[in-house]
Amino acid sequence: MRIPRLLQAVLVMVGVYLGFIVGFDVVLGQVIPSSLLTMYMFFVAAGVFMTFTYDDERTRELVAPIKALVEDPSRRWLRNLVFTVVPLAAGAATFVQMQPSFDAPVELRSIHPAPPTTAKIFGRRVNLLEVENPFRTLEKDDPEGFAEMVVEGAEIYIRNCQYCHGDKLDGRGPYAAGLNPTPLDFQDVGTIAQLQESYLFWRIATGGPGLPKEAAPWISSMPVWQDFLTEDEIWKVILFLYDYTGHRPRSWEHG
Amino acid sequence: MAAPTRLGGFPAVLAAVLMVAAPAAATPGDADRGEEIYAARCLQCHGEDGDGLSPAEERLNPPPRDFTSGDYKFRSTAFEDFVPNDDDLMRMVRDGMNGTAMPGWGDILSEQEMWDVIAYIKTFAGLEEEQPSAQVDYGTMIESSPDSIAKGRDLFLASDRCSECHGRDGKGDAVKRLKDDNGARTWPRNLTKGWTFRTSNAPKDIFTRISVGIPSTQMPSFADPKSKKKLSIEERWHVANYVASLADSERVVRADNTVIKAAKVDGGLPSSPDDPAWTEGPPATFFLVPQIVAGERFFTPANDSITVRALYDDTAIALLVEWDDRTQSIPGDAKAEAIAEDGMGEDAVAIQFPVTVPQGMEKPYFLMGDATRPVNLWQWSSGTTDTSEGVTLADARGINDRRERDASASGLTATGSYRDGTWRVAMTRPLTTDAIGDDLQFSEGRFIPIAFFNWDGSNGETATKHTMTTWYWLLLAPAAGSRPIIAAIVVALLILGALILWARGAAKRSGS
Repeated sequence: MRIPRLLQAVLVMVGVYLGFIVGFDVVLGQVIPSSLLTMYMFFVAAGVFMTFTYDDERTRELVAPIKALVEDPSRRWLRNLVFTVVPLAAGAATFVQMQPSFDAPVELRSIHPAPPTTAKIFGRRVNLLEVENPFRTLEKDDPEGFAEMVVEGAEIYIRNCQYCHGDKLDGRGPYAAGLNPTPLDFQDVGTIAQLQESYLFWRIATGGPGLPKEAAPWISSMPVWQDFLTEDEIWKVILFLYDYTGHRPRSWEHG
Repeated sequence: MAAPTRLGGFPAVLAAVLMVAAPAAATPGDADRGEEIYAARCLQCHGEDGDGLSPAEERLNPPPRDFTSGDYKFRSTAFEDFVPNDDDLMRMVRDGMNGTAMPGWGDILSEQEMWDVIAYIKTFAGLEEEQPSAQVDYGTMIESSPDSIAKGRDLFLASDRCSECHGRDGKGDAVKRLKDDNGARTWPRNLTKGWTFRTSNAPKDIFTRISVGIPSTQMPSFADPKSKKKLSIEERWHVANYVASLADSERVVRADNTVIKAAKVDGGLPSSPDDPAWTEGPPATFFLVPQIVAGERFFTPANDSITVRALYDDTAIALLVEWDDRTQSIPGDAKAEAIAEDGMGEDAVAIQFPVTVPQGMEKPYFLMGDATRPVNLWQWSSGTTDTSEGVTLADARGINDRRERDASASGLTATGSYRDGTWRVAMTRPLTTDAIGDDLQFSEGRFIPIAFFNWDGSNGETATKHTMTTWYWLLLAPAAGSRPIIAAIVVALLILGALILWARGAAKRSGS
């Protein structure tokens, strides 16, 4: 038996719709935003319509059931049913659409706002393009001394940072869930692995209030650590962050 | 057997000797490999010698476990035994401990690595060759039922068995000053917050705690025949079912619930915090985190969450702020001071609003605003033996720039009530005030940033030592009114009309 063309068109649309849902939800593991889905389905509907009305004969075949529904007296009961259901469904959809929305405003976060070239840190202008971790050279020159620095960094981290960024540096410390935005996960390859040490020095020293204008919404809970830690302590913590996660800081030489 | 062997002093030597003497290890772990993992993952908190002395110790609450004592709080071996099951240790390492800084390591350590660490940790107290001799007897589990819960409640309250420390409603508010064997202050668990139980609040885990107690703390074993408050296995299941039933879902923080939706009411706003009318406003619960950002910082909070409802009418807004606090802090009161930390202050709560609702995304700094974006603070404090409760209104432009104003001039009022371990504070203010440039003016349908500050006076929280939330939202949710229904009818009629026209046109064409 041949499937009526109108039904074919409907089946294609439903199939694509379910494909989107399954593809995003099951395969990619994330829910597709309804606005995006509506946009996709608009194009799908337009495409289906164009394909199914490619020439006059196809068009006639496509609209034949609809025409019959309206014009064939023997189908009057079905027509009356459709004429009742369609306006009611449209009314209900309008009612739902018109309800005021109480979804909280979406706040996007720029994880790595562009750094200024200089910043006032520890009372002086620091050129962020030039400043380097003074202990980094020990890694080659004095591995034992370097290891000690990392241990000191770990102690500073545990005393000051783990509450939010966590024992595992995964951004899930005991108070992380109470913060918005949530603390960064340093294990993630998208955070410190993408950055130079001077960037971390700037972010740690100046904290949330030190974020540049472009980084709005300005809502980071990161404390201004230059108020609590010395310059050397910050550099040691940075050594620890890279050592523990196994990431390497980016540098000008290695890109 | 199970003679406690406390050999904290020279565990490594002992471990080495025993390794040679008895190559058949008691656990599947390798202590030498475990030592390396310990150094990388555990040492920062638990200390090089496993004694819990580390740079983190003084700022963690509870402090990191001292492995040299061999006491493990959460074990499933019988109360008279001393040695934990390997699976007990595995569970702590793998899943972590709720409500503490101990994370679960199951996501980054392999099972073998965790067994290795466990093998090493046991050497701190010379437990590596010990085998537990007696297990908790679970008998026949009794499923939870209204009948079992009622029986459990009676046993919980009878001769103040559990309520002596956990309070009549289980909020941990029966104020006794408790300390563990190391002298660290401990708090009886708030049983209405089942998700804060260190292991879980599944009845079986609660049964285990009741049966074993929590070693090194004042939580006793109720399976101990010498205890005057002893419970049979059946009775312990009833108490476990009762305790599990106490979990208060309203106090659960839901990450997606970031908006306090103020409900519009007719016929006046409640002024008493105990008015049943408050239930018309849906609750929102937020985590309280300690203020570790600026000024004199604070690392060891006692209160962990705050629940808020809001109502409004044509003229005013009212907020009900509720939080569980084990202690009513009354400076000057001898009983309150006896259980408080030194320097007790009043209990207090503050609601923070921006003075003007931000147009874009930039809100004032979440800790008391900043130079260009001031905030309003509505602060209620509980009073002392000499002064009654009070409310202050302050404008802040940062933690060091806080100026008080006359609260009554803006019509701000607040009333608190403390009962069974919970503070309820109602605050009301007219929607609009004359101080337009200084006071936030409320209007319907806007998302208004809101944050909270909380002080537990008995926990030494005063001034900048407090807990707080980050910014959330308050919305005076306007009723939808008649517009949606009118629009729906219009749309339905238009479509019906179009369809009828189409049908009639078609009928004419086919007729002609």
